[in-house]
Amino acid sequence: MNYLFQRLAMAVMLLLAVSALTFGGMNLLGDPLFNILGPVAADTSNPTSVAKIDAAKEKYYLDRPLPERYVRWLGDMVTGDFGVQFSSTGEPPVTNLLKERTPRTFQLLVLAQFMATAISIPWALIAAARVRRPTDRISTVTSFLLIALPNFALGIILKYLLGIKLGWFPLTYTASDPFFSRLHQLILPALTIALPAAAVYQRLLRTDLVTTLQEDFILMARSKGVPRRRVLVRHALRPSLFSFITVFGINTGALIGGSLIVETIFRVPGLGSAIVEAILREDFPVVLAIVMIATTTFVLVNIAVDLLYSVLDPRVRR
Amino acid sequence: MSEPSAETGVTVPMAAEPGRVQRRIGIGFWLSMSWIVLVVLAAVLAPWLPLKDPDANYIVTGTRPPYGPSWTHPFGTDQDARDLFSRVIFGARTSLIIGFVAISFGMIIGGGLGIIAGYYRKWVDRTISVVMLILLSFPALILAILITSLIDRGLFTISVTLGILAIAPVGRLARAATLSFAEREFVTAARSLGASNGRIIVRELLPNVVIPMAALALLGMAVAIVAEGGLAFLGLSIEKGFTWGKLILYGAGARDLERAPWISFAPILVLFITVLALNYAGDRIRDYFDVKEISL
Repeated sequence: MNYLFQRLAMAVMLLLAVSALTFGGMNLLGDPLFNILGPVAADTSNPTSVAKIDAAKEKYYLDRPLPERYVRWLGDMVTGDFGVQFSSTGEPPVTNLLKERTPRTFQLLVLAQFMATAISIPWALIAAARVRRPTDRISTVTSFLLIALPNFALGIILKYLLGIKLGWFPLTYTASDPFFSRLHQLILPALTIALPAAAVYQRLLRTDLVTTLQEDFILMARSKGVPRRRVLVRHALRPSLFSFITVFGINTGALIGGSLIVETIFRVPGLGSAIVEAILREDFPVVLAIVMIATTTFVLVNIAVDLLYSVLDPRVRR
Repeated sequence: MSEPSAETGVTVPMAAEPGRVQRRIGIGFWLSMSWIVLVVLAAVLAPWLPLKDPDANYIVTGTRPPYGPSWTHPFGTDQDARDLFSRVIFGARTSLIIGFVAISFGMIIGGGLGIIAGYYRKWVDRTISVVMLILLSFPALILAILITSLIDRGLFTISVTLGILAIAPVGRLARAATLSFAEREFVTAARSLGASNGRIIVRELLPNVVIPMAALALLGMAVAIVAEGGLAFLGLSIEKGFTWGKLILYGAGARDLERAPWISFAPILVLFITVLALNYAGDRIRDYFDVKEISL
């Protein structure tokens, strides 16, 4: 419990640091007033512009010192309010935009991680069962190639082969479609994220399985007459899952980044397109909100991974 | 093919891998290095090679571009009838510069911080480790997006941004390597002979830390080149000129992909082989020098 408390305290500090850096960086390097008002912001000779500038400063708290604005923003964020967009109207609130976009990216990532797990575990079991034989060699080469293939390249290849040539999957995402056809539309982008991830997981899991299979308890199980397949799945798999789970957590960060690119290739209007649009408009509250969501998810997944250890391996429990 | 074990620093006992104590670097390494040298040479010498002008429109009267691969255009042309072969080679110039500058920056800053953290320990180590942890907890691409959008999208900014992403992984490796050497006899010997901290770091530790870092440099260069491609897809790559990422993006629309797949696939192929060669060469160096604890 003490350990969990430490981890959580550390996570909170980390998120504070990330948010302060992002908030400070965006406000010091960017020009919020210009993003809200446009060219009017620079026009201080005209009284109507000055009135507008003052009104905007008042409304968006730009006349307050930076630390105060940060604390204000932080207080709102903790209660689930991400503030107003930096546009002339400030509408819709950032929270509404996030409510619309986040579930799509979330579904995409969950589907991708699910696919990656579903592909990598059987793949690793087969490879480990045939260590150093042709099947294993081919699978090692395949995973090496998949890992070297950038996600945007894989996306284009899949889009060309499965989407255009074979026509199995639609090329774009339609937000208004019913759930199952949206799921169908998410398969290609999810596969683009899942395949390289599966290759990474497979590599790790295979190595750990090979090590586990050398252990005495495996020999014991085999000599009791437990069939090979059952030994692999029932005895060897669970103690071999550690690096797999760690990397599953660490990889979430990379997958969040990857999903931004994949979303643009397959036109999924999720957080990826939202952050790109926001950056081009220099709509800082939206950027900040998405950075915070991505970082928080990443940190939480890694804590969850740590907790999973003790579930999987009673030896870690104290 | 390399063993996956080294990838994560998970050590496989020798008994698990009988007869695999390989101390040869292998032909694959030389093939990879040849490809890398070839691409680098082509990129450096591009203006003097007998290539078509990458910006000229080679329209054949009475027909509509894009043209498929042929003798005159080995990789075909794009929608504006520009020769893809020479565009891929000229694109390599920018992509390789970005990769090289990025990883050099990461190596110098990250390596320096890592060695200092590993050598001085105590609060120095703790401070540097916290900074690296913060760097690592940003999803990498989001950090790159933030910096490029806040500053500008020049060649230098993008290279340095990608270099910042390399600081944490390089730093952790350098720190781990330094920790493992800092207590060894030759360091103690140097210290008892009266060598200063600076001298010990530069003359005793650095040469030992450089080898694992060299393997990481090749992998990191591949990562930086790919990351630039990712930025291109988000519309955040360099504004002027073209890179492999931008070339791939140029043919990535559904209609272009359907009628002229070569526009995207030609740069994808070259990018892929280059990344593959860098990864493989890096892996081989790592295995050859038996480096553990690398994680990217």
